[in-house]
Amino acid sequence: MSAPATAVPAQGHALEQSKFWIFVQIAMLLAVITGLELVTVYLPFMRWILFTVLVVLSTVKFMFVIFYFMHLRWDRVFCTLLFFIGLVLAAATMMALLRLFGADASKPLAAAPAPPAVAARAA
Amino acid sequence: MSSDAATATIDHHFDPTTSTGIPNKKILMWAFLASDCMFFGCLISTHLIYRLHPPPGTPPARQVFSIELTSFSTFILLMSSLMMALAVNAIQKGNLKSMRWSLLTTIFFGCIFLGCQVYEFRNFVYEKHLTITNSILGTTFFTLTGTHGLHVLVGVIWLSGMLLYSFTGRLTEKEAIDVESMGLYWHFVDIVWIVIFTAVYLLEYI
Repeated sequence: MSAPATAVPAQGHALEQSKFWIFVQIAMLLAVITGLELVTVYLPFMRWILFTVLVVLSTVKFMFVIFYFMHLRWDRVFCTLLFFIGLVLAAATMMALLRLFGADASKPLAAAPAPPAVAARAA
Repeated sequence: MSSDAATATIDHHFDPTTSTGIPNKKILMWAFLASDCMFFGCLISTHLIYRLHPPPGTPPARQVFSIELTSFSTFILLMSSLMMALAVNAIQKGNLKSMRWSLLTTIFFGCIFLGCQVYEFRNFVYEKHLTITNSILGTTFFTLTGTHGLHVLVGVIWLSGMLLYSFTGRLTEKEAIDVESMGLYWHFVDIVWIVIFTAVYLLEYI
Protein backbone atom coordinates (compact mmCIF):
# COMPACT_ATOMS: atom_id res chain seq x y z
CA MET A 1 0.00 0.00 0.00
CA SER A 2 2.51 2.63 1.07
CA ALA A 3 5.88 3.43 -0.47
CA PRO A 4 8.60 0.97 0.48
CA ALA A 5 11.31 1.99 2.90
CA THR A 6 14.03 1.52 0.30
CA ALA A 7 17.04 3.30 1.72
CA VAL A 8 19.22 5.44 -0.52
CA PRO A 9 22.32 7.45 0.37
CA ALA A 10 22.09 11.04 1.58
CA GLN A 11 22.72 12.26 -2.01
CA GLY A 12 19.03 11.53 -2.60
CA HIS A 13 18.20 14.01 0.15
CA ALA A 14 20.41 16.66 -1.46
CA LEU A 15 18.52 16.13 -4.75
CA GLU A 16 15.23 16.78 -2.94
CA GLN A 17 16.70 20.03 -1.56
CA SER A 18 17.81 21.26 -4.97
CA LYS A 19 14.39 20.43 -6.42
CA PHE A 20 12.89 23.19 -4.26
CA TRP A 21 14.83 25.87 -6.13
CA ILE A 22 14.28 24.19 -9.47
CA PHE A 23 10.51 24.34 -8.89
CA VAL A 24 10.59 27.99 -7.87
CA GLN A 25 12.70 28.97 -10.88
CA ILE A 26 10.44 27.05 -13.25
CA ALA A 27 7.36 28.71 -11.76
CA MET A 28 8.90 32.12 -12.40
CA LEU A 29 9.74 31.06 -15.94
CA LEU A 30 6.16 29.88 -16.51
CA ALA A 31 4.86 33.24 -15.30
CA VAL A 32 7.19 35.06 -17.69
CA ILE A 33 6.10 32.85 -20.60
CA THR A 34 2.45 33.55 -19.76
CA GLY A 35 3.24 37.27 -19.90
CA LEU A 36 4.95 36.78 -23.26
CA GLU A 37 1.85 35.01 -24.59
CA LEU A 38 -0.27 37.92 -23.48
CA VAL A 39 1.99 40.40 -25.27
CA THR A 40 2.19 38.23 -28.39
CA VAL A 41 -1.53 38.46 -29.21
CA TYR A 42 -1.23 42.24 -29.54
CA LEU A 43 1.80 42.23 -31.84
CA PRO A 44 1.23 43.43 -35.43
CA PHE A 45 2.49 40.30 -37.18
CA MET A 46 0.84 37.89 -39.55
CA ARG A 47 -1.68 35.52 -38.01
CA TRP A 48 0.28 32.35 -38.74
CA ILE A 49 3.37 33.74 -37.03
CA LEU A 50 1.41 34.67 -33.91
CA PHE A 51 -0.30 31.28 -33.93
CA THR A 52 3.04 29.47 -34.17
CA VAL A 53 4.56 31.54 -31.38
CA LEU A 54 1.57 30.87 -29.10
CA VAL A 55 1.68 27.14 -29.80
CA VAL A 56 5.42 26.99 -29.15
CA LEU A 57 5.15 28.95 -25.90
CA SER A 58 2.26 26.77 -24.69
CA THR A 59 4.17 23.62 -25.57
CA VAL A 60 7.20 24.86 -23.62
CA LYS A 61 5.01 25.53 -20.56
CA PHE A 62 3.32 22.16 -20.97
CA MET A 63 6.64 20.30 -21.12
CA PHE A 64 8.10 22.13 -18.14
CA VAL A 65 5.09 21.22 -16.00
CA ILE A 66 4.98 17.56 -16.99
CA PHE A 67 8.72 16.93 -16.82
CA TYR A 68 9.52 18.91 -13.67
CA PHE A 69 6.40 19.47 -11.60
CA MET A 70 5.02 16.03 -12.48
CA HIS A 71 8.47 14.48 -11.92
CA LEU A 72 8.72 12.71 -15.27
CA ARG A 73 12.33 13.86 -15.48
CA TRP A 74 13.22 11.82 -12.42
CA ASP A 75 10.83 8.93 -12.87
CA ARG A 76 11.08 5.85 -15.03
CA VAL A 77 10.56 6.14 -18.78
CA PHE A 78 7.49 3.90 -18.52
CA CYS A 79 5.51 6.75 -16.91
CA THR A 80 6.48 9.08 -19.76
CA LEU A 81 5.46 6.50 -22.36
CA LEU A 82 2.15 5.83 -20.62
CA PHE A 83 1.19 9.49 -20.55
CA PHE A 84 2.44 10.24 -24.04
CA ILE A 85 0.31 7.44 -25.49
CA GLY A 86 -2.81 9.28 -24.36
CA LEU A 87 -1.37 12.67 -25.27
CA VAL A 88 -0.36 11.63 -28.79
CA LEU A 89 -3.74 9.98 -29.40
CA ALA A 90 -5.53 13.12 -28.20
CA ALA A 91 -3.35 15.46 -30.26
CA ALA A 92 -3.62 13.32 -33.39
CA THR A 93 -7.41 13.08 -33.05
CA MET A 94 -7.61 16.84 -32.58
CA MET A 95 -5.49 17.55 -35.65
CA ALA A 96 -7.41 15.07 -37.77
CA LEU A 97 -10.76 16.56 -36.77
CA LEU A 98 -9.55 20.10 -37.41
CA ARG A 99 -8.23 19.13 -40.84
CA LEU A 100 -11.48 17.34 -41.61
CA PHE A 101 -13.80 20.14 -40.52
CA GLY A 102 -11.50 22.86 -41.84
CA ALA A 103 -11.73 21.53 -45.39
CA ASP A 104 -13.80 23.42 -47.96
CA ALA A 105 -16.22 20.52 -48.30
CA SER A 106 -17.02 20.76 -44.59
CA LYS A 107 -18.14 24.37 -44.71
CA PRO A 108 -21.81 24.93 -43.75
CA LEU A 109 -24.08 25.17 -46.81
CA ALA A 110 -25.11 28.77 -46.13
CA ALA A 111 -21.49 29.93 -46.17
CA ALA A 112 -20.17 27.54 -48.84
CA PRO A 113 -19.25 29.08 -52.19
CA ALA A 114 -21.22 27.82 -55.22
CA PRO A 115 -19.45 25.19 -57.34
CA PRO A 116 -17.93 26.65 -60.56
CA ALA A 117 -20.43 24.89 -62.88
CA VAL A 118 -23.42 26.27 -60.97
CA ALA A 119 -21.89 29.76 -60.80
CA ALA A 120 -21.25 29.74 -64.58
CA ARG A 121 -24.83 28.61 -65.33
CA ALA A 122 -26.17 31.36 -63.06
CA ALA A 123 -24.09 33.96 -64.95
CA MET B 1 28.57 2.96 6.87
CA SER B 2 26.50 3.57 9.95
CA SER B 3 26.35 7.29 9.11
CA ASP B 4 24.97 6.33 5.66
CA ALA B 5 22.26 4.29 7.32
CA ALA B 6 21.49 7.15 9.69
CA THR B 7 21.10 9.68 6.87
CA ALA B 8 19.52 7.30 4.32
CA THR B 9 16.17 8.40 2.88
CA ILE B 10 13.35 6.62 1.13
CA ASP B 11 13.64 6.42 -2.66
CA HIS B 12 10.30 7.82 -3.79
CA HIS B 13 10.90 6.95 -7.43
CA PHE B 14 11.46 3.19 -7.03
CA ASP B 15 9.28 0.42 -5.60
CA PRO B 16 11.02 -2.97 -5.50
CA THR B 17 7.74 -4.80 -4.81
CA THR B 18 6.32 -4.12 -8.29
CA SER B 19 7.49 -5.62 -11.60
CA THR B 20 7.96 -2.17 -13.18
CA GLY B 21 9.74 -0.66 -10.19
CA ILE B 22 7.07 2.04 -10.15
CA PRO B 23 4.50 2.30 -7.33
CA ASN B 24 1.14 0.97 -8.54
CA LYS B 25 -0.68 4.11 -7.43
CA LYS B 26 1.56 6.20 -9.68
CA ILE B 27 0.95 3.97 -12.71
CA LEU B 28 -2.79 4.11 -12.03
CA MET B 29 -2.75 7.90 -11.90
CA TRP B 30 -0.67 8.25 -15.09
CA ALA B 31 -3.01 5.87 -16.92
CA PHE B 32 -6.02 7.86 -15.74
CA LEU B 33 -4.37 11.14 -16.82
CA ALA B 34 -3.63 9.67 -20.25
CA SER B 35 -7.34 8.87 -20.64
CA ASP B 36 -8.32 12.31 -19.35
CA CYS B 37 -6.05 13.80 -22.02
CA MET B 38 -8.23 12.19 -24.65
CA PHE B 39 -11.36 13.40 -22.89
CA PHE B 40 -10.24 17.02 -22.87
CA GLY B 41 -8.82 16.62 -26.38
CA CYS B 42 -12.34 15.87 -27.62
CA LEU B 43 -13.87 18.85 -25.81
CA ILE B 44 -11.18 21.24 -27.07
CA SER B 45 -11.50 19.85 -30.60
CA THR B 46 -15.26 20.42 -30.54
CA HIS B 47 -14.82 24.02 -29.46
CA LEU B 48 -12.19 24.71 -32.12
CA ILE B 49 -14.20 23.02 -34.87
CA TYR B 50 -17.22 25.21 -34.18
CA ARG B 51 -14.97 28.27 -34.12
CA LEU B 52 -13.78 27.45 -37.66
CA HIS B 53 -17.18 28.22 -39.18
CA PRO B 54 -19.25 30.07 -36.60
CA PRO B 55 -22.93 30.19 -37.54
CA PRO B 56 -24.53 33.59 -38.18
CA GLY B 57 -25.48 35.46 -35.04
CA THR B 58 -22.61 34.07 -32.97
CA PRO B 59 -21.44 36.77 -30.56
CA PRO B 60 -17.83 37.84 -31.25
CA ALA B 61 -15.72 36.05 -28.65
CA ARG B 62 -13.27 38.92 -28.41
CA GLN B 63 -16.01 41.21 -27.13
CA VAL B 64 -17.21 38.62 -24.62
CA PHE B 65 -13.94 37.40 -23.09
CA SER B 66 -11.94 39.34 -20.53
CA ILE B 67 -8.30 38.51 -21.19
CA GLU B 68 -7.14 40.33 -18.05
CA LEU B 69 -9.22 38.17 -15.72
CA THR B 70 -8.26 35.00 -17.56
CA SER B 71 -4.56 35.87 -17.43
CA PHE B 72 -4.84 36.46 -13.71
CA SER B 73 -6.54 33.11 -13.14
CA THR B 74 -3.91 31.41 -15.32
CA PHE B 75 -1.17 32.91 -13.18
CA ILE B 76 -2.98 31.81 -10.01
CA LEU B 77 -3.25 28.23 -11.26
CA LEU B 78 0.44 28.18 -12.19
CA MET B 79 1.36 29.32 -8.69
CA SER B 80 -0.93 26.68 -7.19
CA SER B 81 0.97 24.12 -9.25
CA LEU B 82 4.23 25.39 -7.75
CA MET B 83 2.83 25.08 -4.23
CA MET B 84 1.63 21.54 -5.00
CA ALA B 85 5.11 20.58 -6.23
CA LEU B 86 6.59 22.05 -3.04
CA ALA B 87 4.05 20.10 -0.95
CA VAL B 88 5.13 16.84 -2.59
CA ASN B 89 8.77 17.81 -2.14
CA ALA B 90 8.16 18.54 1.54
CA ILE B 91 6.44 15.23 2.34
CA GLN B 92 9.18 13.36 0.47
CA LYS B 93 11.63 14.92 2.91
CA GLY B 94 9.36 14.04 5.83
CA ASN B 95 8.55 17.70 6.52
CA LEU B 96 4.87 17.48 7.44
CA LYS B 97 4.50 21.08 8.61
CA SER B 98 5.87 22.49 5.36
CA MET B 99 3.66 20.11 3.40
CA ARG B 100 0.57 21.33 5.27
CA TRP B 101 1.33 24.98 4.55
CA SER B 102 2.01 24.25 0.89
CA LEU B 103 -1.23 22.25 0.63
CA LEU B 104 -3.17 25.04 2.29
CA THR B 105 -1.74 27.58 -0.16
CA THR B 106 -2.57 25.27 -3.06
CA ILE B 107 -6.17 25.01 -1.84
CA PHE B 108 -6.32 28.78 -1.41
CA PHE B 109 -5.11 29.42 -4.95
CA GLY B 110 -7.45 26.74 -6.27
CA CYS B 111 -10.39 28.47 -4.58
CA ILE B 112 -9.32 31.81 -6.08
CA PHE B 113 -9.27 30.19 -9.52
CA LEU B 114 -12.74 28.74 -8.98
CA GLY B 115 -13.97 32.13 -7.78
CA CYS B 116 -12.62 33.74 -10.96
CA GLN B 117 -14.39 31.11 -13.04
CA VAL B 118 -17.69 31.65 -11.25
CA TYR B 119 -17.36 35.43 -11.69
CA GLU B 120 -16.52 34.99 -15.37
CA PHE B 121 -19.48 32.66 -15.97
CA ARG B 122 -21.89 35.01 -14.22
CA ASN B 123 -20.52 37.94 -16.22
CA PHE B 124 -20.96 36.05 -19.49
CA VAL B 125 -24.51 34.97 -18.65
CA TYR B 126 -25.91 38.16 -17.12
CA GLU B 127 -23.84 40.95 -18.74
CA LYS B 128 -22.80 39.53 -22.09
CA HIS B 129 -25.88 37.29 -22.52
CA LEU B 130 -23.85 34.26 -23.51
CA THR B 131 -25.42 31.09 -22.13
CA ILE B 132 -24.90 27.39 -22.66
CA THR B 133 -28.05 27.15 -24.76
CA ASN B 134 -28.31 30.36 -26.80
CA SER B 135 -25.29 29.86 -29.08
CA ILE B 136 -22.78 27.26 -30.23
CA LEU B 137 -19.99 29.35 -28.74
CA GLY B 138 -21.74 29.29 -25.38
CA THR B 139 -22.36 25.55 -25.52
CA THR B 140 -18.81 24.58 -26.36
CA PHE B 141 -17.22 27.19 -24.11
CA PHE B 142 -19.24 26.42 -21.00
CA THR B 143 -18.99 22.66 -21.55
CA LEU B 144 -15.21 22.80 -21.87
CA THR B 145 -14.40 25.30 -19.15
CA GLY B 146 -17.17 23.98 -16.90
CA THR B 147 -15.72 20.47 -17.12
CA HIS B 148 -12.30 21.85 -16.33
CA GLY B 149 -13.76 23.79 -13.40
CA LEU B 150 -15.33 20.58 -12.09
CA HIS B 151 -11.94 18.92 -12.25
CA VAL B 152 -10.48 21.80 -10.24
CA LEU B 153 -13.30 21.50 -7.70
CA VAL B 154 -12.64 17.77 -7.29
CA GLY B 155 -8.96 18.59 -6.85
CA VAL B 156 -9.69 21.18 -4.18
CA ILE B 157 -11.89 18.71 -2.28
CA TRP B 158 -9.20 16.04 -2.56
CA LEU B 159 -6.52 18.45 -1.36
CA SER B 160 -8.69 19.49 1.59
CA GLY B 161 -9.23 15.86 2.53
CA MET B 162 -5.51 15.18 2.36
CA LEU B 163 -4.78 18.24 4.49
CA LEU B 164 -7.22 17.05 7.16
CA TYR B 165 -5.79 13.52 6.93
CA SER B 166 -2.31 14.90 7.62
CA PHE B 167 -3.49 15.85 11.13
CA THR B 168 -4.38 12.25 12.02
CA GLY B 169 -0.72 11.28 12.36
CA ARG B 170 -1.04 8.58 9.69
CA LEU B 171 0.55 10.60 6.89
CA THR B 172 4.33 10.21 6.97
CA GLU B 173 7.19 10.13 4.47
CA LYS B 174 6.33 6.51 3.68
CA GLU B 175 2.90 7.60 2.43
CA ALA B 176 4.34 10.35 0.20
CA ILE B 177 3.09 8.44 -2.86
CA ASP B 178 -0.48 9.39 -1.91
CA VAL B 179 0.40 13.08 -1.95
CA GLU B 180 2.40 12.62 -5.13
CA SER B 181 -0.54 10.96 -6.92
CA MET B 182 -2.77 13.81 -5.88
CA GLY B 183 -0.10 16.22 -7.09
CA LEU B 184 -0.08 14.56 -10.50
CA TYR B 185 -3.83 15.14 -10.79
CA TRP B 186 -3.48 18.79 -9.78
CA HIS B 187 -0.66 19.43 -12.25
CA PHE B 188 -2.73 17.80 -14.98
CA VAL B 189 -5.56 20.22 -14.27
CA ASP B 190 -2.99 23.00 -14.68
CA ILE B 191 -1.63 21.76 -18.00
CA VAL B 192 -5.15 21.39 -19.39
CA TRP B 193 -5.75 25.02 -18.48
CA ILE B 194 -2.52 25.97 -20.26
CA VAL B 195 -3.98 24.45 -23.44
CA ILE B 196 -7.45 25.95 -22.88
CA PHE B 197 -6.00 29.42 -22.23
CA THR B 198 -4.23 29.37 -25.57
CA ALA B 199 -6.79 27.52 -27.69
CA VAL B 200 -9.96 29.14 -26.36
CA TYR B 201 -8.93 32.62 -25.24
CA LEU B 202 -5.68 33.78 -26.85
CA LEU B 203 -6.48 32.50 -30.35
CA GLU B 204 -9.54 34.78 -30.44
CA TYR B 205 -7.27 37.82 -30.17
CA ILE B 206 -4.95 37.13 -33.14
